[in-house]
Amino acid sequence: MSIGPALVSILRQGSYLIASIHTALDDSQMIRFQEDLIEQIGQHRSRGVIIDVAALDVLDSFGSRTLRNIAEMARLRGALTVIVGIQPEVAFAMVELGMGTGSVFTALDLEEGLAYLSSRVSSSSALST
Amino acid sequence: MPKFGAHRTSDVSDAPEERSEVAALMPMVRRIVGARVSDRAAADDLVQETLVRVLAAADRVQPGMLEPYAIRTARNLIASGWKEQDRHKRNQHRLVDLRPPAAPDEEMLQREEHDAIAQALAHLSDQERQTLLAHEVSGQDTRSLALEQGSTAGAVAAELNRTRARLRVEYLLALEGTEPPTDRCRPVLRALSSGDRRRQREVGADLHVLECAMCARLSEPLIRRGQQREDEVRIRITADGDIVLARQGARELADRIGFSRTDLTVIATAVSELARNIVRFAGEGEIFVELIEMPRCGVRVVARDAGPGIADVEQALADGFSTYHGLGLGLPGARRLMDEFTVDSEMGRGTTVTMTKWRQKG
Ligand SMILES: [Zn+2]
Repeated sequence: MSIGPALVSILRQGSYLIASIHTALDDSQMIRFQEDLIEQIGQHRSRGVIIDVAALDVLDSFGSRTLRNIAEMARLRGALTVIVGIQPEVAFAMVELGMGTGSVFTALDLEEGLAYLSSRVSSSSALST
Repeated sequence: MPKFGAHRTSDVSDAPEERSEVAALMPMVRRIVGARVSDRAAADDLVQETLVRVLAAADRVQPGMLEPYAIRTARNLIASGWKEQDRHKRNQHRLVDLRPPAAPDEEMLQREEHDAIAQALAHLSDQERQTLLAHEVSGQDTRSLALEQGSTAGAVAAELNRTRARLRVEYLLALEGTEPPTDRCRPVLRALSSGDRRRQREVGADLHVLECAMCARLSEPLIRRGQQREDEVRIRITADGDIVLARQGARELADRIGFSRTDLTVIATAVSELARNIVRFAGEGEIFVELIEMPRCGVRVVARDAGPGIADVEQALADGFSTYHGLGLGLPGARRLMDEFTVDSEMGRGTTVTMTKWRQKG
């Protein structure tokens, strides 16, 4: 990863990637995160991606758009994206702002995110590590 | 002095009134220096140097502040171990140009400041110093500090305010170069510095300031700075990273008057949008956030830039004219988040967006 572990981490778990954002990111850091994640999806031929955004202080128009872009690019590479950990007040502000996660699936936490992925990603590919 | 009109320069030797005012300080400066420096010749030099510096600064010093300024200057000269050789160097310069060189004076002031801040920091506990530095220097927010300390963001913010208030007091005392005359001075000065009116009543601050010359003198900058720090924050916006600083600054300020977590996030999100507009469309500008009490409690955000301006404000504000289509201004979204919202823009002159969020009752 070119972004230090202090800001984000991307862990591989079977055919899934679990990406966690650990702190508020500025726009350039957000873009780096997007690039790194997309690169790793290709590298590992991942079928599912979980992005944990629980540590984000806000998801403004740029942040929301970046998450949607990631999901769209991941889809084009054959991976399904779930966003987990959006804080209730962050979600509220996103709605008021007129942004959302679009068609990207969101889940309460990592566990629920993993359950969603395993229900949607065919079991044969999910288990082939 | 109006007789010098607009043509008056900083050449203090042209201002006879100031010179006589400064000359009147001579006996007092002599007493201060004489009490600390036994060598007669060295003492004379110090008195001279003090008066020259006071004279040079006379037109910058507020009326009535000349005496404290002279005391401070004399004490600092003594404390800094002002050297004979320095004087020769300075005087050589002065033979050509009567105005003292600006640079060494600036340097001197910076060193005074630096020493005073170091002394003031030494009055804090390790924990207080670490928290303050992590917040002010490293930019760590109260939420993550609270997490580390097993505390709440509100408690950390309150603690930071108390620490800042104490630091300001110790800083001014360090500049004075002396301990306060009574035991009551520090509590009074801290209460004034923190802007805590209840505490000010408890320690009888009003009365003490009338009786104590030192506290009277220090109360003015304390009250002024206290207000500046407590209820407003200004963030210069020049790059991506400043967007994060701006929204964190706004959140922390609003947190002090008890906005809900949801409203804090809403405010931070709106600030984030405006700060990004500045970076994207103007390159640089500022976000000014202040707490307001009238007509209700709330927070007001002013985003200013001197960029190209917005050609059609109505259109930029129109609903559905969203951030990710069309012009890409984050204005409609920010307007939906806040209670009041105005845009003032002039082509080629810049844009000022003012928005307010009222605190919900209960
Ligand atoms: Zn006092």
